[in-house]
Amino acid sequence: MDRSVRRRRVVIASVMVVAVCLVGLQGANPARAAGVVTLNLYIGGDTNIFDLWKKAFLPAFTKRYPQYKANMVELLHDNGSEGIYAKILAAKRTGRTVDVDLWETTPGFLDQGIAEGLWVKLSPKLVSNVTKVPAPTLEAVDYYGLPYRGSSVVIGYNSQFIKNPPQTFDDLVAWIKANPGKFTYCDPNTCGSGTAFVTAAIYRYTSAEKFAAKAYDTKDEAAWAPGWKLLKELQPAMYNNGFHPNGNVAVLQLLAQQNIWMASVWSDMGLDWYSRGQLPKTMRFIQITPPLMGDDSRVMVPAGSAHLEGALTLLNWLLTPEAQTMVIDVVAGYPGIDWKYMPESVRQKFIDVAKAFAPWPNPKYLADIKRLWHEQVVGG
Amino acid sequence: MTAVQAAAGPSAPPWFWAIAGMRRALALGAFLALAAFILGPLLTLLVWAFAGAWLFPNLLPEFSLTWWSYVLGNADVVKAIRMSLLTAPVATAASAVICIPAAYAFARLEFPGRRLLLLSFLSANAFPKIGLYVSIATLFYRLDLMDTFAGVVLVQMINTLLFLIWIPTGTFRGINRTLEEAARDAGAGPLRTFFQITLPIALPGLIVAAMFAFLAAFDEAQGTLIVGTPNHITMPVMMYTLVLSYPQPVGAVFSVLLSLPSLAFLLLAQRYLRAGYLAAGYSL
Amino acid sequence: MTESRRQGALGLALVLPPLCLLFFLVVVPAVTAVVETLAPGPGGSAGLTVARYAEVLSAKVIRTDIAFSVVVTLISVAAVFVLGYPLALYLRFSPGRLASLLAVVFTIPLFVPVVIASFAMITFLVNHGLVSTVLYRLGIETFPPLVYNATGIVLTEVWASLPFAVLILGAGLQAIDDSLIDSARDVGAGRVRTFATIILPLNAIPTRITLTLLFISVFGSFTIPYLVGGNAPQMLGVTMTNYLTQYLRRTDAVTMAVLAFVIAAAVGVVYVASVSRRERDV
Repeated sequence: MDRSVRRRRVVIASVMVVAVCLVGLQGANPARAAGVVTLNLYIGGDTNIFDLWKKAFLPAFTKRYPQYKANMVELLHDNGSEGIYAKILAAKRTGRTVDVDLWETTPGFLDQGIAEGLWVKLSPKLVSNVTKVPAPTLEAVDYYGLPYRGSSVVIGYNSQFIKNPPQTFDDLVAWIKANPGKFTYCDPNTCGSGTAFVTAAIYRYTSAEKFAAKAYDTKDEAAWAPGWKLLKELQPAMYNNGFHPNGNVAVLQLLAQQNIWMASVWSDMGLDWYSRGQLPKTMRFIQITPPLMGDDSRVMVPAGSAHLEGALTLLNWLLTPEAQTMVIDVVAGYPGIDWKYMPESVRQKFIDVAKAFAPWPNPKYLADIKRLWHEQVVGG
Repeated sequence: MTAVQAAAGPSAPPWFWAIAGMRRALALGAFLALAAFILGPLLTLLVWAFAGAWLFPNLLPEFSLTWWSYVLGNADVVKAIRMSLLTAPVATAASAVICIPAAYAFARLEFPGRRLLLLSFLSANAFPKIGLYVSIATLFYRLDLMDTFAGVVLVQMINTLLFLIWIPTGTFRGINRTLEEAARDAGAGPLRTFFQITLPIALPGLIVAAMFAFLAAFDEAQGTLIVGTPNHITMPVMMYTLVLSYPQPVGAVFSVLLSLPSLAFLLLAQRYLRAGYLAAGYSL
Repeated sequence: MTESRRQGALGLALVLPPLCLLFFLVVVPAVTAVVETLAPGPGGSAGLTVARYAEVLSAKVIRTDIAFSVVVTLISVAAVFVLGYPLALYLRFSPGRLASLLAVVFTIPLFVPVVIASFAMITFLVNHGLVSTVLYRLGIETFPPLVYNATGIVLTEVWASLPFAVLILGAGLQAIDDSLIDSARDVGAGRVRTFATIILPLNAIPTRITLTLLFISVFGSFTIPYLVGGNAPQMLGVTMTNYLTQYLRRTDAVTMAVLAFVIAAAVGVVYVASVSRRERDV
């Protein structure tokens, strides 16, 4: 009996301690410093993109605009993005502002949100620098997402084992068949570099431009059949009898552990890993013909953003040569603005790589490609 | 190895296999293999956390502490760990306050729909949350609970309900009614009987239930991501991003760091996990 | 009569608070979701329809994934049970330092978050990971794929769930009086017989709770199959997430969520029914 009384006292005491902690927590909210607005950014992607924002963009932006601070939420591989989408949608449905001021995510959520009216439609009036962005990339998403950087997928190979790397897509297919177990691409649901290989197989038998355009008709997807057949045929020759890991990073790890000798990888990530010594010294990167896909990464500003003015200021700054040069320097990406607005020195250095990649399919076709890949290639 | 076997020496052979030493050694071997299966992955992780680089087929990596300094510069992690350590206990306590009386009612009182209502708590864990995100977010906006401490606590409580209803119901059901009746006969009121007779007997079972509930609240990620971001981020919300970030040693360092709070809790809970303490939970 | 009515009112009053929480945070959103899956698509007529379910179930991939989820779950639960029961028995009936050391070792996974557990399992079991490197050094060069497939999911689920099973089963065993077992032994019952006729029936409720909760938690898991599983077939948790986030087919995802709930709830109903029958018997 005595012990239970004592125990109850302990319980009561701990509840009180917790309560005191809570009160303290409420009092010590640091974000309310006078005059400074904190922008909440949600960034989905891989670690190199987090570093681009955290270590390059945001320090420069807040130095240029000291009235803003940035608070960044990182979502690796866009894991959890369905929750962020639900948050933005629910805010709109209840007529509240949302504490998501800027979101970088997959084209699928951009597309879904357009139908729900979730994003700010960009115009030169709101963001004066959008005029520097090549018009087609903005028209592709009806001006709802801002393409601020690009990158392309290339073939990474270990020159210790491969002396004559494939030059064309057909060469690549022949090499995969001749070297079973030494190639793979990641699951297209989790990464762009895998999607690029899959679409390369599809584009092999049809036109890339057709599926990159805005029109969408499921009947046209019949043209993908030979692509599926080819990919299915390649399955036994893939690493681990047809295993496709999750995420771009997992593929790089397979290359690092020499489980595989060749893979499709993002040029920016591959170079980043190589320079950090996380890949064998014999790794090389090449582009094949026709080139693999490249992608413009887009950011959206929710129409219900609680700090709309700040978010638009940030968007505008992202399109300055200062920020765009960081894209090239930090992640070896391509600028989102037209090359002609880039500083002369940068232009000279990168003139060759500009736009040497195939276009990405539109979001609806992209969603179907991913689903059908699961049905036709790895499922069943 | 010999030390372990020596340690096992004095104990009496368990009745259910005490036939031949051979058999016993086999069983012991099986348990040690199982222990290796449990510890192996964690030890691998620990080695990775101190690896500069680890390329096949080397048995051990080049050791290095470089990644630790890289990781320890991350202030957000500390903030998230603190938030987790605040929200999970509050969620567990709040849930216990409402669930334990309910569990008592399920175990002892007859009321319409008792079985169906008890079963309905299963839905908290059995309905995939993915279908609920938009509705939950809408509700929390209406209640002005988005990005608040209370909101995070509430969303973590969902995961605790099942543990704090089902296990205590079993516990209370297992307590001999005659004890309570004797106290009532002696003139004690129902509340006094509950606090002085029933609760002390049930306490070990309740503590185990609370422990599972705490771990469930502590691990909640999906709901907290919606309700807590951007300013009330807990450890599990960041976990996926940190553990799977590259290079691999960085993920391992984060794994080791993020396991520390839970393992500290393991040490605290060890006392209650000892079999004897659990016993009252299910005395039949 | 009045006493039973009073008891009924008190009982309802006591269960009301957690029930309210459940109602607003789970039941209402879940019903909304169910209604969404029963609503006819754009251009459809008024009223409710099960067309969505027919459509979702007509896809072979989804049927495969449902079957895969059930099979993986059953194998995992069975493996946890087969490993966990002897362990619980051992810890119950063998005092001594080794037993208490093992007791600590086997509770560790309970305190390791699943993301970390999955990551650790991959580094341990992957080809060119620790186990395969050790085998390679011992001269064994062919290594079976242990992760990124069903084997990996089962191994990791077992790893993560074992402590829960051992703890709940062990708590039940602890409650069994030693004298009962001794008297069974005295009348000449063998070990297997003692286990089957005394221990198993007396430990029935914890066994059922363990099996039910294990089934529900493994069946509903996302992180472990997502990280340790292969591309296809996959468990429903992963499939639904893909339909929602990658394939832009929200309603299909919600329909699968309802199907997953129906399967998990069926297991729950079996549990409650078996416990109730037992109550009536006693």
